[in-house]
Amino acid sequence: MLIEIKDIYKIYNEGKESEVRALDGVSLHIDRGEFVAIIGASGSGKSTLMNILGCLDIPTYGDYILDGTDITDRSDRQLARIRNKEIGFIFQGYNLIPALTAYENVELPLIYQGVPLWKREELVMEALEKVAMADRWKHKPAEMSGGQQQRVAIARAIATHPPIIMADEPTGALDSKTGKHVLEILHTLNEEGTTIILITHDNGIAATARRVVRISDGHIVADGTREEVGL
Amino acid sequence: MKLGQAVKMAAKSIFSNVGRSALTMLGIIIGLAAVIILVSYAQGQNAAMKAYYESMGTNTVQVSASTWNSSINVSQALYDYCLGLSDHVVGVTPNGSVWSDTKISYESKTLTGEDWNTRINIYMGNDQYGLCNDFKIARGRELSYLDIEKLNQVCVLGSEAAQQIFAFADPLDKTITINGIPFRVVGIYQSKAQGKNLGTSENNQWILDEIKRKDRMILIPSTMTRYFNQNRPIEEYVVKVKSSDDIATVVTSLNGYLSGLISENNGYFSVGSPETWQAQENEAAALQQRFLGGIAAISLLVGGIGIMNIMLVTVTERTREIGIRKAIGAERKSIIVQFLIEAAMICGIGGLFGIGVGYVGTLIVGKLSFGIILIPSPGVTVGAAAISVALGIIFGMYPAVKASGLQPVVALRAD
Repeated sequence: MLIEIKDIYKIYNEGKESEVRALDGVSLHIDRGEFVAIIGASGSGKSTLMNILGCLDIPTYGDYILDGTDITDRSDRQLARIRNKEIGFIFQGYNLIPALTAYENVELPLIYQGVPLWKREELVMEALEKVAMADRWKHKPAEMSGGQQQRVAIARAIATHPPIIMADEPTGALDSKTGKHVLEILHTLNEEGTTIILITHDNGIAATARRVVRISDGHIVADGTREEVGL
Repeated sequence: MKLGQAVKMAAKSIFSNVGRSALTMLGIIIGLAAVIILVSYAQGQNAAMKAYYESMGTNTVQVSASTWNSSINVSQALYDYCLGLSDHVVGVTPNGSVWSDTKISYESKTLTGEDWNTRINIYMGNDQYGLCNDFKIARGRELSYLDIEKLNQVCVLGSEAAQQIFAFADPLDKTITINGIPFRVVGIYQSKAQGKNLGTSENNQWILDEIKRKDRMILIPSTMTRYFNQNRPIEEYVVKVKSSDDIATVVTSLNGYLSGLISENNGYFSVGSPETWQAQENEAAALQQRFLGGIAAISLLVGGIGIMNIMLVTVTERTREIGIRKAIGAERKSIIVQFLIEAAMICGIGGLFGIGVGYVGTLIVGKLSFGIILIPSPGVTVGAAAISVALGIIFGMYPAVKASGLQPVVALRAD
């Protein structure tokens, strides 16, 4: 089992009148090589779930076991390592650094990992080729279309060859044709063995996943194939 | 993350916003330039003062006394008393000067001394005059004890006087006349202005002139008072003490002795040494320097706060970038190092410009004169550069720590 979370709670303003339970006792298993779509309306807690799964946020209660290791109480530094090596992120808003070129953006996680220059060059170009953006390596985000930016963001996510890719509404800002192309890249990655966790509110996109998890009001209300979930 | 990578990232960020970086540097540039100019000024003042007082003679005490009580021979009594202080004293000379205008002639040439800038002063002293006044013989010899006793009409020339009277001829054993009285030249003193380093500025001229004035002199035996000053005795002496520790003792002894000899209503006296005058001036100068240093420090501090402000703005502006960096695996340390290096680099580059502006400023102020001597110091320059980088690190610390402490999810949410 690659990812296992047990009784995860994320509670804001706990004990106060304004208490909000973004996640209210969520347990989830994800195996290596799965393609999981997490769906839900906005405010359902799906983004909070992804942030916790991606070690971008810390749960109020609950345990997180990643690849057999309990990482619930890991330090800031160790969590940074996990984000760097184990997980690749793709965001709705691409989140590329505007001052850096495509090449430099993709290079960044490799720099933080301490990969030497000659090896970095190889890995960056390999990742850019995979998303068909190698010819745009010199361009800055402002000089690229949304779809191109998202492809660079995917290249950045896969440059370190992480076992897990987390994509938060990766097609949300793209037209349907470009969105479809991005989705195809994710499926290709999945076929090559990468575990994909896809967060979306779009049932059509979720329907392409083999497994769908529906979340509502901080609870998992359905978990299974798309037929079982009712898409 | 490697340091080299961090430096590259910082450089990229600085040069991606040149205008803002330049404005940030301005504070540091002005601050450092101010420090360099002020320190050069202080050093120039010190060097000038030191040279000036050294030209008056080191380890000397100058004493003069006068009385209208004719029963006391102050001149002789003072001389005898000074000789009696032999534990502390190595030499005593009368230090008389000819008051009236003099006519100095050699062959067909006559110098009248009407122009203050070329006037040659005539001094009357003994065989220890050179020792007491820090004149060294360049050629020939000092006055001798016998010259004094036997009223020999001989003289020793200061280097400027020799130059003015003889130009390129050899003065030794030539005879000049002073107010018609012949004197044979037996020696020439070395120049006091020689070997004094007062920087490269042209404005050291006035102080060099002041020192050269001391070379524009002719020394004749103290017993020549019979020809000059209406035969009035010399009532001023220069005493050379053994070491600077003896100055205070000798000054105290002389004050004690003279206050016993001369009362307020029958005369006056004065005792002092260039060292004590210099010490007083130094105290005033030190106060001034501390004041100027304070102003310079404040301008640097303001520059540093400017850096902190800009870095804080930068952190806020780049919150999202920090979030992205953290999301893809930047450790806290990497973020801190990145922002610190950025701040240090801004300050370092600003520091280099500041040093440049400071040096150019020194040159300009030096050219504009005002009689100011400026001596830039390499030590202070290196120190100032180090301070500017340190300022970047100190004032960059708070924004850097603030930036690194953001939760990735919080930072990512920023617009």
